[in-house]
Amino acid sequence: MDFLTSTILPGLLTGATVTITVTLASLAIAATLGFLLALVREFSGLRLLNFAIDAYVEYLRNIPALSHLFILYFGLASIGFAITSIPAAIIGLGLVGSAVTCDIYRSGFSALGKGQSEAALAVGMTPMQVIWLILSPQAFRVALPPLGNYALQLLKDTSVVSAIAAPEIMFYARSMVTSTFQTTLIYSSAALIYLAMSLPLAWGVTRLEKRFGGATDV
Amino acid sequence: MFEFLSVFVQYADQWGPRLAEAAVVSARISLLGFALAAVVGLVLALMQDTSSALLRGVAKGYVIFFRGVPVLAILFLIYFGLPGIGVVFDAEPAAVVGLGLAFAAQMAEVYRAGLSAIPKGQWEAARSVGFLPGQVLFLIILPQVARIVAAPVIVTFVALLKDSSLASLITVNELVLEGRALATEYFLPLHIYIWVGVMYFIIAFPLSMLAKLLSRRARLGTC
Repeated sequence: MDFLTSTILPGLLTGATVTITVTLASLAIAATLGFLLALVREFSGLRLLNFAIDAYVEYLRNIPALSHLFILYFGLASIGFAITSIPAAIIGLGLVGSAVTCDIYRSGFSALGKGQSEAALAVGMTPMQVIWLILSPQAFRVALPPLGNYALQLLKDTSVVSAIAAPEIMFYARSMVTSTFQTTLIYSSAALIYLAMSLPLAWGVTRLEKRFGGATDV
Repeated sequence: MFEFLSVFVQYADQWGPRLAEAAVVSARISLLGFALAAVVGLVLALMQDTSSALLRGVAKGYVIFFRGVPVLAILFLIYFGLPGIGVVFDAEPAAVVGLGLAFAAQMAEVYRAGLSAIPKGQWEAARSVGFLPGQVLFLIILPQVARIVAAPVIVTFVALLKDSSLASLITVNELVLEGRALATEYFLPLHIYIWVGVMYFIIAFPLSMLAKLLSRRARLGTC
């Protein structure tokens, strides 16, 4: 028990700060970039650009995050673009996430009736005003519950970045295991720490779903 | 650019067969894990519909736990953690069990969404004309649920396939681990990891497209 409180928990909690940092930073990238992609995809009307965005989204959504991280971290270093592990983790998960959030925002936009933009244009708003003042705020509300779900998924997916040596929870767990061999205790403590972080988040997502409507299957 | 691409051609006969073999391992653990998830998930979904508070509580607790803990932590717990209390798994079975148990929680949610779309009146009507509970479930309810959940089931499978890459971290010789072995042998990590990614894409992309098609048809009510 002493060992748990003196060594294991402090180690895992140090890792937890990196887990939270990586989660928040990649969430910020994903939420912003995904929104820009969704805007362009929904409203630009340029077929080549739309195709490029579709290709980007499908590429990122159909390949494991681990694979992307290895390309970014080991692959790019081999041709002279070395990125350290935490930025590589943030960029990698952020890019993967932007494909997910792009789909989420897009289904938010498509949930709005055509009549809205027609009406807004008819009363003299410019297309830009329609997008910013009428459509985006509503699409964002629809997108909130699935975005919350994505954040929950992201929190768990950050465990993957231990494979590129980013010092988060699983990384600390693994290195403590090599020095102490307390596998059962350490890995179950790690699982419980994730649970302690994701439970409040899951509760928040349920609240969002109740308030803004159910989950969409993106 | 041409130089970059020519490397793939140059090593195709050395990397191709080894990564194809590893892809079979990835596909195998994904399919077996998914089969486990599909069965356990169905049990969990039905448990949450029973009148027994105990069964509902257990199912609910299961879903909350596995939704809140990363798949990687579960795999480590099974493969490295359980031997500490005397339960030893080989790497591949550990991956199948870990992926299966983790995604069972997700499958339970998928089934539940499907089950809740079927009006309770159908149970009552079928029971009143003499169907047994098992008959109602398998002949009336599940065939309808199957249509509704087809798309999300495929989406869940693709997610599981992608997470099967985590099995590389518990020494299962699947695509990513074979990629790492090749990368240390040939010192061409960028090319090799791109190839690995493409292998996943070849399996996952058609499935994702199918899921999109199915969910569009389900929305239009033509399915």
